[in-house]
Amino acid sequence: MKSSVDAAPMTLAATHDGRRKKRLDYRRLLFQIVFLLPAVGFLVVFMFYPIEETFRTSMMQTSALSPPTFIGFENYQRLFASAEFRKGLANVLAWAFWSVVIQIPLAFFIAFSLVAYSNRLTSKLRVIYYMASIMPSAIVAMLGRFIFAPRFGVISTIAQRFGWAWLQNVDFLGDPSKVFWSLFAIATWAYIGFGIVYLMANIEQIPMEIREAAELDGANRLQYALYVVLPMVSYPIRILAIISTVGSLKLFDVPYLMTGGGPVYYSTTLAIILYKQGFVNWRYGRAAAVGVIIFLLSLAFSIAQFSMQRKGGELD
Amino acid sequence: MRNIDLIAEESAIRHFGGRRGRLTVSELLIMVVLIILALAVVLPLLLPWFFVFKTRLEFSYNPWSLPKQISWTNFREAWIAIQIGQGLLNTLKVCVGAVLCTVPSAAMAGYIFAKYRSRWTEVAFYVVLMGYFVPVHMVLIPLYQLNTKFGLVDSMAGVFLPMTAFGIPFWTIIYRSFFRSLPDDLAEAAKIDGAGHFDVFLRVMFPLAKPATVLAVLLVFIGAWSDYLLSLIMINNQRLFTMQLRIAQFMNAYGVDHMPRYAAAAVIAAAPTLILYIVGHRWILRGTLAGALKG
Repeated sequence: MKSSVDAAPMTLAATHDGRRKKRLDYRRLLFQIVFLLPAVGFLVVFMFYPIEETFRTSMMQTSALSPPTFIGFENYQRLFASAEFRKGLANVLAWAFWSVVIQIPLAFFIAFSLVAYSNRLTSKLRVIYYMASIMPSAIVAMLGRFIFAPRFGVISTIAQRFGWAWLQNVDFLGDPSKVFWSLFAIATWAYIGFGIVYLMANIEQIPMEIREAAELDGANRLQYALYVVLPMVSYPIRILAIISTVGSLKLFDVPYLMTGGGPVYYSTTLAIILYKQGFVNWRYGRAAAVGVIIFLLSLAFSIAQFSMQRKGGELD
Repeated sequence: MRNIDLIAEESAIRHFGGRRGRLTVSELLIMVVLIILALAVVLPLLLPWFFVFKTRLEFSYNPWSLPKQISWTNFREAWIAIQIGQGLLNTLKVCVGAVLCTVPSAAMAGYIFAKYRSRWTEVAFYVVLMGYFVPVHMVLIPLYQLNTKFGLVDSMAGVFLPMTAFGIPFWTIIYRSFFRSLPDDLAEAAKIDGAGHFDVFLRVMFPLAKPATVLAVLLVFIGAWSDYLLSLIMINNQRLFTMQLRIAQFMNAYGVDHMPRYAAAAVIAAAPTLILYIVGHRWILRGTLAGALKG
């Protein structure tokens, strides 16, 4: 009897509190919905709906004359059967591999040196190294052709001037065996600045005490770089590796503008094939299938990045 | 952000202090290598100046000599061919549109995800986060069809609206982590004074997030400035061509056969970005760092 008397006011209080909370919640909820609406709206209209459409279109045969018909995975089969697509896939994978193997060690060397030998000059050098990275890809491509053009380009005219016959007539962008490396060189010029700045930021965060301890132990700069700094920035280096890998899968601007994927299709990439199938040949189905492949490949690499970030605990 | 800066400056000072006055051979060697590499970065931007004042004939005989006379003909021709003035105007429209759409949307969403955490906002956050992993290349075909449906082909909005959608996830993440680092006390105080949810955001929290906003405005602007692919697909009308489209068009239409004129065009094309960088490099570098360390 006593307990029920006691319980009554409590439940009353609880329901009263609950009701007030509910009224507040309604306002809070409305506010949340209104504030999320623009972002979610943009994503739904310009990203999620198009993703669904890409998957759907990739299973369709499309042409200007007849309505699209469902053909299952035929677009994918056709793609993998074509030498052009296989070359594009091989190119972007090779590009990803070499950018990890060449660009990241170079970026590490420069970043480490700029931090370890820091003086008034190196802080200016950092500004210079990043300068090319801010150039829009159209300008990068323009300067690339300026350097590699046959007969009139920088390399060719210098070779003429010094009479180096072996270099004079090299067709950097027209020779299938050289075009990949010419494009890669100009892209390294353009993209390495980010890696340098990113690694510098991480190296600078290493406490001075660690360096002093290494010096006390008699380590020289090289040993300090390889056995102390390198392991400490292994996480950012992995992130950088994934950024360049995913970037390689999406490669379009510089190769498209400099060679159009040529000669024939020796410097083509997945995105160039997508563009040509979709907006030159108007084969939407085939182009969408390339889009799905780009998406799945970059998703695989991004998941790797995401899980590493979780491990590093940097997301929160 | 300020922390990173401080740490960077401090460590720079300490490293410098420790090494002052002792320049060893290996140090000198590394410095020389660093300077050579820096020259390699700058040279492609400087070399066009050797060619720009020459006629075609002079160029073909003496490409690397100093020009006999300063003639601006190549510049004039390149300027007329690129029409960079109109291109700059179109590019600026895309940039402003992208900034105005991306930054408020991302700030609002990031605020909700930081300060109104519940099960359903977490789910919404993961939905937005998924967008971070989607490359715009994947959806070009449906985007083009969508723009055709909305009548956005051949308009600047047709470029910056999709761009916004693909920029929102990253900036929402940045704003979320920034708002989470702000203490709740100020918001609580304002609430006790009778401010509503919206007032708290607009009058208290958003002004406090100014560093994140400066960063977002700057980097979204630069992203829109550099865009080539979306404009290539969405814009067919030559009058509406952005700066990058005009540069690309010049490359394809005039080619490298008239090298002095091509070099002049390269100088003109790179100039706006170079000026942007020279004026704002401190902000750009700082922004890239903060973005890189958080992203």
